[in-house]
Amino acid sequence: MSELQETARKLLSEGTVSVVIGYEEGPRGVRPAFITAPAQADKLIFDTRCVQNLATYLNPRRKQVAQLGRAAVVVKGCDARAVAGMIREKQIERGNVVILAMRCGGVLQNPETNSELTTQTVSVRCGGCTVREPKLFDHLLGELPPEPPVNTHRVEQIAALMKMSSSERWTFWTEQLSRCIRCHACREACPMCFCVKCTAEKSQPQWIDSSSTPQANRAWQTMRVLHQAGRCVDCLECERACPEHIPLGLLARYVADSVERRFEYTASDDPTVPAPIGVYRTDDDEEFIR
Amino acid sequence: MTHKFFSHQGLSSLVADLLTAQTRVIAPVCAKDDPAQVDYQLIQNVEEASFGVRLPRRSLKEFFLPPSEVLLHYKQTKTGVEIREVPTVAPPQVIFGATPCDVAGLAAVDKVMNWDYRDELWFGRREATTIVSFLCNVMDSTCFCTAVGSGPEATTGSDVLLVPVDGGYLAHLVTSKGEALLQSYGLPVNEAMMATAQAAQSAARDKVTPNLPAIPAEFAGWLARNFDHPVWKTLALRCHGCGACASVCPTCHCFDIVDEHESVDEGVRRRNWDSCQTALFTTHASGHNPRGSQSERFRQRIQHKFSIYPSRFGEILCTGCGRCSRACPGGMDLPTVVAELVALSQAKPEVSGQ
Repeated sequence: MSELQETARKLLSEGTVSVVIGYEEGPRGVRPAFITAPAQADKLIFDTRCVQNLATYLNPRRKQVAQLGRAAVVVKGCDARAVAGMIREKQIERGNVVILAMRCGGVLQNPETNSELTTQTVSVRCGGCTVREPKLFDHLLGELPPEPPVNTHRVEQIAALMKMSSSERWTFWTEQLSRCIRCHACREACPMCFCVKCTAEKSQPQWIDSSSTPQANRAWQTMRVLHQAGRCVDCLECERACPEHIPLGLLARYVADSVERRFEYTASDDPTVPAPIGVYRTDDDEEFIR
Repeated sequence: MTHKFFSHQGLSSLVADLLTAQTRVIAPVCAKDDPAQVDYQLIQNVEEASFGVRLPRRSLKEFFLPPSEVLLHYKQTKTGVEIREVPTVAPPQVIFGATPCDVAGLAAVDKVMNWDYRDELWFGRREATTIVSFLCNVMDSTCFCTAVGSGPEATTGSDVLLVPVDGGYLAHLVTSKGEALLQSYGLPVNEAMMATAQAAQSAARDKVTPNLPAIPAEFAGWLARNFDHPVWKTLALRCHGCGACASVCPTCHCFDIVDEHESVDEGVRRRNWDSCQTALFTTHASGHNPRGSQSERFRQRIQHKFSIYPSRFGEILCTGCGRCSRACPGGMDLPTVVAELVALSQAKPEVSGQ
């Protein structure tokens, strides 16, 4: 029995938690698992296919999960940022979740494949990872694997976009967003999209038309990515959920880079570190607000 | 049913002639963003098409029920409101290389669109379209068409079914529309071709059949009687409620209707895809939601496809394409869920009198 399975079994049998949210083998690769009995703890696995950010399931409005009771959640260092974000923004209490953090050597882009980690197959977000040894945890588990290879695909895409003229970029995004069908799958899969009522669903006034039109699609994706500034943890669940395969991670990464440049802040895995949106500083020169 | 033979060249000439005659032609095409994937798209020349490579990422429904479409334009005048409805007559189009599961999906939605109200926009497009499907040979472990009454060789909804034989295709002319399309094309078939096609059809069926046993007829009734079964509580734990399944589904057809202003006194009425998997779908104006958790919303998806629709129309509202499983970011897998529920329905005989 692995360290993870043993810890989960103990937490469940001692009654510390009622459910362990982790990963298990599914019919199409790895899938999220909800283990409620100690005897089932041996289903839990952790390997390079564990792409999903399970912090999403801690959202208290996921009633079907919340009704199971107090949870332990398996996270990678990157996912721990989402748990920290939810604690920081008062969605969950630190003392009310048990964090099982896995030492991680990178994950694949696709939880269904079982290939070697290469510069082509590894997730674009694993390059330069600083949290392979997670810092936010109750139990730190597993051996530290070697550093993952670096997939430069997204960095190159962003560089290419930044080289474009603004009208070329406009054309690029108009084409990409023309495919948006306004299903809002990106929002539902996002661990940091937890508003009780999304702006896109407000109808008095109707800030954003619900139809998929060029104007409304632009407004929706711009609004979403701006609301994620300094909050997005770059887990790319939005991109995985998008049935139209829009590269939403590019938008999010661009905004995250801007926040880093302006505020020297990247989504932190320390819930006590405030995000720029949540602080007021008198020495903020606000030089970009005209 | 009559049959014809088409060489590869003969099929190309047919498509080329249609394009020359300005007929809209839709075919599977390699996706721009991912060359390993295929999408149904309008084509300009036959070389663009990639037949029989893999299942297209999205179904055919967007060509008949677009994700968003204008129903009417309105304008406020001094005396009232002027309404201008959109035309319900569509330009002729031919779909080449459809998979039987996608075409079966259209046939299933036909019944809903002609149920309590005849949807002229839907049928305008349906009637203007001729569908040439291909024997499916791109199934994977997630396909289960044979379990839901369809199959890789099914002709439901198709006007022509093409089956690969030596040197080209054997065409089953399913409808008079199909016969009309191929009237001046094709060659006579011989018995050897018929035998080859029959063997290919059986082989294709054998490839997908083991994925999921046929869903028993009693399943619909069991679902209806077990609306409050505890299994629903835990079945959808990993479901995000994102509705990606419904977007890619060939049979999900729900829509929302909205009026949107385009200026002070003018606007449009649109209908947009909607999905029972989202909370907003059933949220009342009061704020109350009778399907308050994803467990209930996922139950609705299963109940509608495997019980409610069958009780009205006598067949399952699922064609076994498996796209919902492939699209799901949460690892929900419809064939697994259905197999689990079917097993449950057969686990213990119900006590008589209940």
